[in-house]
Amino acid sequence: MIKKILIANRGEIAVRIIRACREMGIATVAVYSEADREALHAKLADEAICIGEAPASESYLSMERIISAAVVSGADAVHPGFGFLSENSRFADLCRQCGITFIGPAAEVIEKLGNKQEARRTMTEAGVPVVPGTEEALEDWQEAFGAAEKTGYPMMIKAALGGGGKGMREVYDPADFEEAFRTAQKEALGAFGDGRMYLERLIKNPRHIEFQILADNYGNVVHLGERDCSIQRNHQKLIEEAPSMVLTDKLREKMGEAAVKAAKAAGYVNAGTIEFLLDKENHFYFMEMNTRIQVEHPVTEWVTGVDLVKAQIKIAAGEKLEFTQKDIRIQGHAIECRINAENPEKGFMPSPGTIQDMYLPGGKGIRIDTAVYSGYTIPVWYDSMIAKLIVWGKGRKEAIRKMQSALGEVIIEGVDTNVDYQYEILHNQDYLDGNIDVEFIRRISAQ
Amino acid sequence: MKLDNMFKKSQNLSLNEGEKEQKSEVPEGLLRKCNLCKKVILTEEVENGYYICPKCGGYYHVPAMERIRMITDEDSFEEWDREMRPVNPMRYKGYLEKLKLQQEKTGLKEAVVTGKAKIDGEEVVLGVCDGRFLMASMGENVGEKVARAVERATKDRLPVVIFTASGGARMQEGIVSLMQMAKTSAALKRHSEAGLLYISVLTDPTTGGVTASFAMLGDIILAEPGALIGFAGPRVIEQTIRQKLPKGFQRSEFLLEHGFLDGIVERKAQKETLSRIIKFHKKQEMTENIQKKSPAEQTDKEKGIEKTDGGTEEKRKKRIEAWERVQKSRKSDRPSGSDYIRALFTDFTELHGDRYYGDDAAIVGGIARFHGMPVTVIAQEKGSNTKENILHNFGMPKPEGYRKALRLMKQAEKFGRPVICFVDTPGAFCGIEAEERGQGEAIARNIYEMSALGVPVLSVVVGEGGSGGALALATSDEVWILENAIYSVLSPEGFSSILWKDSSKAKEAAKVMKMTAENLYKQQIVEQVFEEPEELTKENLAVVTDKMDAAMLEFMKTYGALSKEELREHRYRRFRRM
Repeated sequence: MIKKILIANRGEIAVRIIRACREMGIATVAVYSEADREALHAKLADEAICIGEAPASESYLSMERIISAAVVSGADAVHPGFGFLSENSRFADLCRQCGITFIGPAAEVIEKLGNKQEARRTMTEAGVPVVPGTEEALEDWQEAFGAAEKTGYPMMIKAALGGGGKGMREVYDPADFEEAFRTAQKEALGAFGDGRMYLERLIKNPRHIEFQILADNYGNVVHLGERDCSIQRNHQKLIEEAPSMVLTDKLREKMGEAAVKAAKAAGYVNAGTIEFLLDKENHFYFMEMNTRIQVEHPVTEWVTGVDLVKAQIKIAAGEKLEFTQKDIRIQGHAIECRINAENPEKGFMPSPGTIQDMYLPGGKGIRIDTAVYSGYTIPVWYDSMIAKLIVWGKGRKEAIRKMQSALGEVIIEGVDTNVDYQYEILHNQDYLDGNIDVEFIRRISAQ
Repeated sequence: MKLDNMFKKSQNLSLNEGEKEQKSEVPEGLLRKCNLCKKVILTEEVENGYYICPKCGGYYHVPAMERIRMITDEDSFEEWDREMRPVNPMRYKGYLEKLKLQQEKTGLKEAVVTGKAKIDGEEVVLGVCDGRFLMASMGENVGEKVARAVERATKDRLPVVIFTASGGARMQEGIVSLMQMAKTSAALKRHSEAGLLYISVLTDPTTGGVTASFAMLGDIILAEPGALIGFAGPRVIEQTIRQKLPKGFQRSEFLLEHGFLDGIVERKAQKETLSRIIKFHKKQEMTENIQKKSPAEQTDKEKGIEKTDGGTEEKRKKRIEAWERVQKSRKSDRPSGSDYIRALFTDFTELHGDRYYGDDAAIVGGIARFHGMPVTVIAQEKGSNTKENILHNFGMPKPEGYRKALRLMKQAEKFGRPVICFVDTPGAFCGIEAEERGQGEAIARNIYEMSALGVPVLSVVVGEGGSGGALALATSDEVWILENAIYSVLSPEGFSSILWKDSSKAKEAAKVMKMTAENLYKQQIVEQVFEEPEELTKENLAVVTDKMDAAMLEFMKTYGALSKEELREHRYRRFRRM
């Protein structure tokens, strides 16, 4: 039974979860850091508990404080959102030990999928295609150099515990291998305290296609179609859309089946995302599985009509999925633009500060998920994403026109944002033609 | 816009009404409060993480068996003398009952656990005190277990490692507990006389009779960061002298500064550090252990290093003035002692302190490997920028520096390690405190003891060889010098001021004093001169050290083959002829 949920997060995702709870009649507990006293999530929740100082390590990443807050407030479940502790298996385990429902998969599943090498092995065994690469983690560069022969160039060196582009290097020429391996390993050691690396064939100019799945406690797994997240800068997604214009019904079915197979192989329960790389010949390869709600979940919500956060809560409460695969119909086209407080002209430097004035668009087919308001001061401590603008149209063209119009209406005064940068992408001919892949931003930046 | 109390709150329902209500609570023992920083922490993190607070990094006391798990190879520990008959020499009321209670509480039989174990494959005899047991106070059984363990180690020729912690003597056992200090110390003395190694690791708190016996008798004394170490407890001292004690008083860092510790080692590095030190002391013949060089280096060596006066024909033509060499020897970017250590040795493990007064940074010393062979290395260090210059006192050692050097040399003699000294000093430090602590005595003692050290001793003058301050590290089998280094009885400035009452005539003095490598070689004060590149820097140091390496290898072979007596006789003759 879930009567009260503690939201172990901040920003727009915390607000998004609180809203779902309000609609469901579930009481909410927000936790906030000292820098977030004026944050929307803290104001909107039924209760709010300050859990520590501004640095995330002292607040949103402090497992013991969040657990204490949950127990003290009598919350019977914790929703971790994304980022912070959302993919921390120890946190999920601690919740379980304290009799608190963790809204997400079991700790063991998070752990298994969080280790890239193990995730890869699980997928290979389940018959899900993976990018050719090394099976064992490597620490010695010379040993890795030997293994590189088999993987083939160009290749990607990746940290076993990597994420967010840290500890990753592309290598095109064997002559550059040693330096690339050493610097990537050094970075990985600094960021994750772990120098285990592995190698992967670099798929030339692929698309990033990910499948949303939902799985309940009774073995039912359904996929909700794909999202095309190819518009990325340094592995940070900027624009996501659903459906992808390159997926035929047949390919969607094939990839969807693979995604379901992947989730089943991992013993997955709750909402999750399977990321694939799709090459020009429509070969797809499993990249990783994200064991949490995604930033870009609204585009899937719009084309399927499923409220993913509510679905997460219901699954955690032990309910069965209310639909089967054949009930899922993809309708229309949705696009999401991430609005970040950053300055694209100064190398995307974060631009925290006070929002003096703000006007956001609305109307049919426009959705805005945000946690900022006029007079709100964006703290320096956290992520620079301040809003998500999502549109829906009957087709891609209509959706693009709507996004162009909506972006043109956004006014945020007081801090720099990437709105104009997004506006330009939405007018780029290649984007309009759907001629996109993960190298898109690099190409237009070079122009 | 302020949002306080602006939103209407939810009207709450619940999912799956009617299901049994689950009650969330934190299970017993999952969380705990750090008694140092007062923050709430996960118990599991403390136990997996070497008993260190994950928030403040503070060290908690470690139960003996956990300590053994942290330090030794898995399943290698064999406990000795676990069952000891309880004693109560004063028939102190309630003592035996108290012991019983402590045994039940801790699962131990006494406050120290002893036995044999392996550390990184090396067999050692181990003793670990456990502060939970009557503050690890030392009574008859504690002393007995330590003494027996040491005796067995002596018999089996094994190194001893003891992790100490103690509140002092065990009052309930009266005078018998005092005698344990003598018993344990005497056993360690025999162990040492047998040429065997003892490492003590001091943990919080090590006080009283344990400090004043086996804790402070290690050949090498290590400590954990921040541990309280002292003879009298701080509270007793405060009450006696009626003064507030300064912050950090009697902590490990304080002891290091005052010369009583070889080093402070963090918990995570302890196993590796112990293993490295133990391996340095494995019994081996001096020269046998010199590893074969890589082929590239061998060809270098094959080219041969002939004893030379360093001056090629061309160089002799464009003679460099003595004064110019003096200036070169003093250049701030000239490599100093520790640069040579880095270039010529591996595994350098610095050891600190003179065990009397302080740790002098003007002299850096420790154990290292030369082609795999353990050696003691001692270097005068100037530092290479202003901040470092100040830290190292511009390479001018104080008495505690010379006493540290001597301590390390005597240690080298005990364990049969050759000694290599790098000389680079303007002179011994000239100041009030240096005289108070006996600068002259310290230098004299070094020269006196070095002259009869039973192991090969080599000194290399790499920069300034300033008078007695240099000789205190150069009473050796051979003295080598770099082309632009100098070695003299006094600085040219001092010389001209004494003899000519004019310190500005240093340039002339430099010439008269015959202090350059070439002069010294001619006078047979030095055995070898090493050529230098035009401008010797850290970057091109290999030009010199490659040749020095080959020459040192020869030195080790030659002198390593001599007996103690032959070495002493050779050194005696070397100085007797001067």
